[in-house]
Amino acid sequence: MSEIKKIKNLKEFSTSADRFEGANLLCPGCAHSIIVREVLNATNDDLILSASTGCLEVCTAVYPYTSWDASWIHIGFENGSTAVAGAESMYKALKTKGRLKQPDRNPKFVSFAGDGASYDIGFQWISGCMERGHNMMHVVLDNEVYANTGGQRSSSTPIGSSTTTAPAGRVSYGEQKNKKDMVAIMAAHGIPYSAQVAPNKWKDMVKKIQHGMEVEGPVFINAISPCTTEWKFDPKDTMHITDLATDSLVFPLYEIIDGHELNITYRPKDIVPVEEYMAAQGRFKHLFKDEYKYLIKEWQERVDAKWAYLNRREEARV
Amino acid sequence: MAFDKMELKDIEVWDGNFAAAQALRQCQIDVVAAYPITPSTPIVEGYGKFKADNYVEGEFVMVESEHAAMSGCIGAAAAGGRVATATSSQGYALMVETLYQASGMRLPIVLNVVNRALAAPLNVNGDHSDMYLGRDSGWIQLDAYCPQDAYDLNFIAFKVSEDHGVRLPCMVHQDGFMTSHTAQGVHTLSDDVAYGFVGDFKPMNDMLDFEHPVTHGVQTEEDWHFEHKARQHNDLMTKVLPKIQTAFDDFEKLSGRKYNIVESYDMDDADVCVICMGTSVETSREVATEMRAKGIKAGVVGLRVIRPFPFFEIAEALKNVKAIATLDRSSPNGAPGMLFNETAGALFNTQARPMLSGFIYGLGGRDLTKAHLVNIYKELQANVDAGKVTTQLQQFIGVRGPKLAFL
Amino acid sequence: MAKTGWDEFEIGAMLRTFDGKIDDIAGTIQENRAYSQNSSFSASVSDWRIEKPIFSKDFCIDCQFCWIYCPDISIISRDKKMIGIDMDHCKGCGICVEVCPTNPKSLLMFPEQADEEAELAKWPAKQAKEK
Repeated sequence: MSEIKKIKNLKEFSTSADRFEGANLLCPGCAHSIIVREVLNATNDDLILSASTGCLEVCTAVYPYTSWDASWIHIGFENGSTAVAGAESMYKALKTKGRLKQPDRNPKFVSFAGDGASYDIGFQWISGCMERGHNMMHVVLDNEVYANTGGQRSSSTPIGSSTTTAPAGRVSYGEQKNKKDMVAIMAAHGIPYSAQVAPNKWKDMVKKIQHGMEVEGPVFINAISPCTTEWKFDPKDTMHITDLATDSLVFPLYEIIDGHELNITYRPKDIVPVEEYMAAQGRFKHLFKDEYKYLIKEWQERVDAKWAYLNRREEARV
Repeated sequence: MAFDKMELKDIEVWDGNFAAAQALRQCQIDVVAAYPITPSTPIVEGYGKFKADNYVEGEFVMVESEHAAMSGCIGAAAAGGRVATATSSQGYALMVETLYQASGMRLPIVLNVVNRALAAPLNVNGDHSDMYLGRDSGWIQLDAYCPQDAYDLNFIAFKVSEDHGVRLPCMVHQDGFMTSHTAQGVHTLSDDVAYGFVGDFKPMNDMLDFEHPVTHGVQTEEDWHFEHKARQHNDLMTKVLPKIQTAFDDFEKLSGRKYNIVESYDMDDADVCVICMGTSVETSREVATEMRAKGIKAGVVGLRVIRPFPFFEIAEALKNVKAIATLDRSSPNGAPGMLFNETAGALFNTQARPMLSGFIYGLGGRDLTKAHLVNIYKELQANVDAGKVTTQLQQFIGVRGPKLAFL
Repeated sequence: MAKTGWDEFEIGAMLRTFDGKIDDIAGTIQENRAYSQNSSFSASVSDWRIEKPIFSKDFCIDCQFCWIYCPDISIISRDKKMIGIDMDHCKGCGICVEVCPTNPKSLLMFPEQADEEAELAKWPAKQAKEK
């Protein structure tokens, strides 16, 4: 077992030597990159990485350039998790057979994928990886939309968001369905660790990633990744939007251990109204018309109910 | 050694599936990621039992679909080790996306394909529809005619596929049920001899070399994509057949069993011949011999290597023949048929340019009988006698209803 | 990188990040790494910028907020100190300025053509807190 990297504070964290490079092609202000950096910098161990097709993938490995300093693989849209599972299986096999070139290493296996590649098209592959118990971590860069292809709805898109395939129009307020609770579904696999993280709460993120890397078995991480392009906000405001998401409890931060034990890991001092979170983004602009304001109210109620549920779960220790 | 070796008799009674499973065991695969599907399931089951009985040391990952099976194989192969799996039909069809990814990333993976029809309508029996589906996927495709071939060709597959001058994935095809579930005497190699032939896996561009990180599976657009595809095609066209020939030669020295890129049978003085694949080759050989007793100089050309297509070897094998029948066991769905087209292409610029007619047969496991072949040879002889093709160019054989012929 | 012919690159479109061997990547800071021409570290996106950040170290408290939240690995921190901006990789998003907590800010956005020395010379003074 390798030692967990000591990261007491941000100054100490800033001594990390990044293993993800600039001059990638992600949009200015993209949160994907911030999340990836926080995940990668949480450990000094070697990494075997994958990305499913999506923004992260098409922006970090366009021939003849790679932005990855650790071994990385992309196969397709749906199977990035299984690519890493295959590599992890090979690691186990070569370890058993004594054929690892550097047998003293303790590599971590991490697959990154967007919400489209995780909640939708890659759902079965991730479920398979979680069920089989690979020693790997799947991280969803959840921007609640197919951003790479221009903003189509996914099953992570929240109600009322205007997307290119569920646009707001004369008779529609945009996306009609509620966001899928992926963390609950993954936790239901009985995996040792699943959690929601947000890049603004870097310390919470690092703690969870480190825990996830230390436990034996599959780990599922859902990271909110505000998308300047599709959520329609100024690139400079990425962290502000993330703050609003976590502090309005639209995106609560919690963890589920062994599929059942739920802990809330961040309780905002001042809870921000959901309306404030929505007002900061163009994708919800149309909801501020009189006829749709009930949706904002409903959303607030949903967020309150979810928060109450999470609190009950935490209290009940089940 | 943490795993046990298995004592084999010189000749074992194995079906094609078990022969393939035994070959995989002897090659000491590092990762098998697989999903069951009829009729290839017993390969996976057999391998699983070897694992359960400690005859296998590598990882055996039973995934949730064939797409995931090949995805896992790709990840494992990129990580750097020996990788294999097996599938058929719909599973193969589900895998197609990843077949292209495996070959494009130049990863040596051996895929045992137990050929089966493609739905709809659903059918579990053997034909070559799945095999044809993958023929543009950039894999090497070897074809077994019997359980012995299915065993031997697996060793050839690893030897060629993993060669650093090749690094292309390889399929070993066998006919569903007719080969996969038909037990025959199979001459074996001992575990040590078999492994010695294939040799230790030599990693290349391996992700698990932490001192040399690699990026696999990049995006290339119009400024690079063509060059990468051209490189892959070049290597298929120029590097693979010589390696296969060398592997065949080495294998003959080891086992006494001789394989050829194109398997010619009684072709030296043949006037007429059929070209076919799989179990039909053996049936055709039997009929050809019988036709000779009846005064028709019949021969058989079997394709041992489907991809890369042995263009010149086929032309060479057919240079003296007068009339040829191509036997395609896949619905051509609006075209003459793969073997017809490829053979025509190989012969078009030759001097002899023999007569060519095509037959569609055996879909969904329908038997190709000796009587069918007798008729084909007779028709070919009639063509020779008339100096022209006397039938339509594409005929269906063995199908009920009015005679079906086109072109 | 030059657009080479079909026979001049590694098979499988595989890329290597570093020239030769690297023993401990996480323990090797960027300036000590032998990046290959295929690492995007060797490339520049400076022409994406319309505005650029300028860093004034006079007020910086080395909190490292800019380092952690920079999406482009463009805040250069060494030995827990913010020492500058990697202008080859900065896309000018402005997050670093937004998250800077000092008064006045230690990072501000300026038009790409702005002269750094001139801007530093007229850096804003500390603002009185609004009551």
